[in-house]
Amino acid sequence: MNALGFVLTNFWALLVLAFLGLVGLRIVWRVRKFGATRRELRHVLRRSPFYFVVLVFCFFAAAPFLIMFLHTFKTDGDLYRRPQPFVYRQEPTLEHLDALFTNTAYLDFIRNSVLVGVAVVIITLLLSLPAAYALARLTGRWGERAGILMFLVYLVPPTLLFIPMFRIVVLLGLKDSPLSLIVVYPSFTVPFSMWLLQGFFKAVPPELEEAALVDGYNRVEAFLRVVLPLSLPGIISTVVFTFTLTLHEFIYGLVFIADTSQRTLSVGVPTELILGDVYFWQPLLAAALIIAIPVGLAYNLFLDSLVQGFTMGAVKG
Amino acid sequence: MSVVQISGLKKYFDAVHAVDGVDLSIQQGEFLVILGPSGCGKTTLMRMIAGLEKPTAGSIHIDGADVTELPPRKRGVSMVFQSYALYPHMNVYNNIAFPLKAQRREKKFDKATMRSKVENIARLLEIDELLDRRPRQLSGGQRQRVAIARAMVTQPAVLLLDEPLSNLDAKLRANARDELKDFQRSSNITAVFVTHDQIEAMGLGDRIVVMEKGKIQQIGTPQRIYDDPANEFVATFLGSPSMNILRAKGHRFGFRPEHFLPKTLQDNPENSVSFHYFVKRVEYLGSDRLVYGYVGGHENELTLAKVPSNIRVSLDIDSEYEFAVHYDDIKYFDEASGERVEAQVAGAAWR
Repeated sequence: MNALGFVLTNFWALLVLAFLGLVGLRIVWRVRKFGATRRELRHVLRRSPFYFVVLVFCFFAAAPFLIMFLHTFKTDGDLYRRPQPFVYRQEPTLEHLDALFTNTAYLDFIRNSVLVGVAVVIITLLLSLPAAYALARLTGRWGERAGILMFLVYLVPPTLLFIPMFRIVVLLGLKDSPLSLIVVYPSFTVPFSMWLLQGFFKAVPPELEEAALVDGYNRVEAFLRVVLPLSLPGIISTVVFTFTLTLHEFIYGLVFIADTSQRTLSVGVPTELILGDVYFWQPLLAAALIIAIPVGLAYNLFLDSLVQGFTMGAVKG
Repeated sequence: MSVVQISGLKKYFDAVHAVDGVDLSIQQGEFLVILGPSGCGKTTLMRMIAGLEKPTAGSIHIDGADVTELPPRKRGVSMVFQSYALYPHMNVYNNIAFPLKAQRREKKFDKATMRSKVENIARLLEIDELLDRRPRQLSGGQRQRVAIARAMVTQPAVLLLDEPLSNLDAKLRANARDELKDFQRSSNITAVFVTHDQIEAMGLGDRIVVMEKGKIQQIGTPQRIYDDPANEFVATFLGSPSMNILRAKGHRFGFRPEHFLPKTLQDNPENSVSFHYFVKRVEYLGSDRLVYGYVGGHENELTLAKVPSNIRVSLDIDSEYEFAVHYDDIKYFDEASGERVEAQVAGAAWR
């Protein structure tokens, strides 16, 4: 705790030191590369306002996550006395993080969410890959309309559908089981992924498939060996997107599952850590932060192809 | 012996008649060029031979077997696409081996055989140094060779080429044309080549099929198509600048600009027809002078003359000269149908 406590309490000083250290490193690097110390020093100093502005914007973007991180370790007294989000006035503590893992079923929530997410992603891919391919390539006049119709399904909000869906879930005997979510979530992930994938497939030149057909393959093989590898970035970003869709879904998760240990993150965390009007801020923020980090990393990794996926269908048609 | 036999082939896209009744037989080992302006149905015809397009009516036989209803992979044809359609995610070796991998499931041959087949064809096309590269690391000419290698590696009955030279720059194109012809001759493969470029067609084709509006206008050797066009479309489509067409009573007649020369220069003046030629403009093209003007009695019909630059007669603007065409170089066309007719039928009495 002592090392962590030191870092947290001297947070601001460390941030300034890091900035100065970066500027210093930059100067050293430039001097080594170009020589002529004074000119290089002046160059970096002249640009430091620019670096500072960049740093401010970075801080602005990262602030919510920073606040979540800092609050995780605050004592109740520090948190509720006149809010000062970036300063520790009392010794940081691990007690709330500990409480998250011991007093709630947080690990169960993670397990359920991952289980549901992975299963839904697999089902979604199995259904939407062929559907998207058919829409991108093999449609006549009615195919396009059918595609729009399927996308309209995505626009019907779960708040309208959860009661009929609940009856179906009960009928299937899946109440209180994550299986119910695995059955229902594809109803909105499939239309969405299908639409996204269609754009990626349209970007693959049809001549490549025709070449595969002439080269001795049937359509399914041409799809698997040529179209699929070429749209892999698109498929990966579709996977990331579908997974996050299931991760933040709330209403189905809340309605279908009453058993705490069977709930997913998006339902379990708020129901366990908000009791009436009492918010357990520290574990709540810690729970959100822990799950946000891997998702954020995944988004960053595939950001380019994700943006491409959203705009491609629109521009190229 | 004919490798490909096409009869009554039609392809309608709703109201558009892309290919409208084509009969054609392609001989073993010949280089057949399908020539026509864009939208004449030549690419559709080729895609139907490949099996990428389903005909509305008619039949296609390859090597004696009816393939009209068969998918491309069962036809024994291969194709070089205009964009080459190389698989970007595979290196050159795997691109060329791709059709062999498909065959491996039926005709059992081992990996070593496959490798030697790929290496042989690569050596033949001088791309054996490039086998580890990706398509995007290749130049246009190299890509074209890879595409041909991929099409040839399975030794297909027919090689289809869809304007494979149009993506190369002019200098490379002449070279590639040469090599393609050499390669086709030495491998003795049957090739069908689609193009809209008449120079390519004349240079490559053993026979040329001229198409327009989904119909075959004429089939013949390059010389025959040029010198003996079947109708007005063929006459004007080939040749640059194109044939002069002049209206007469009940018919039209035409002659090529390079046959239209000052009368004093005609080697056989008694056998030619003379015209009064009014020169309006002269373009100096280096090897030739291109003369724009009109002939007496046809003031509204622009008539061109192509005078080789070794003929040093002076040709001044707004002056009148005596020009002549040899009888045999004048072609006559029916006024209504545009079909070629004989001079007697046209009623032309030059003699």
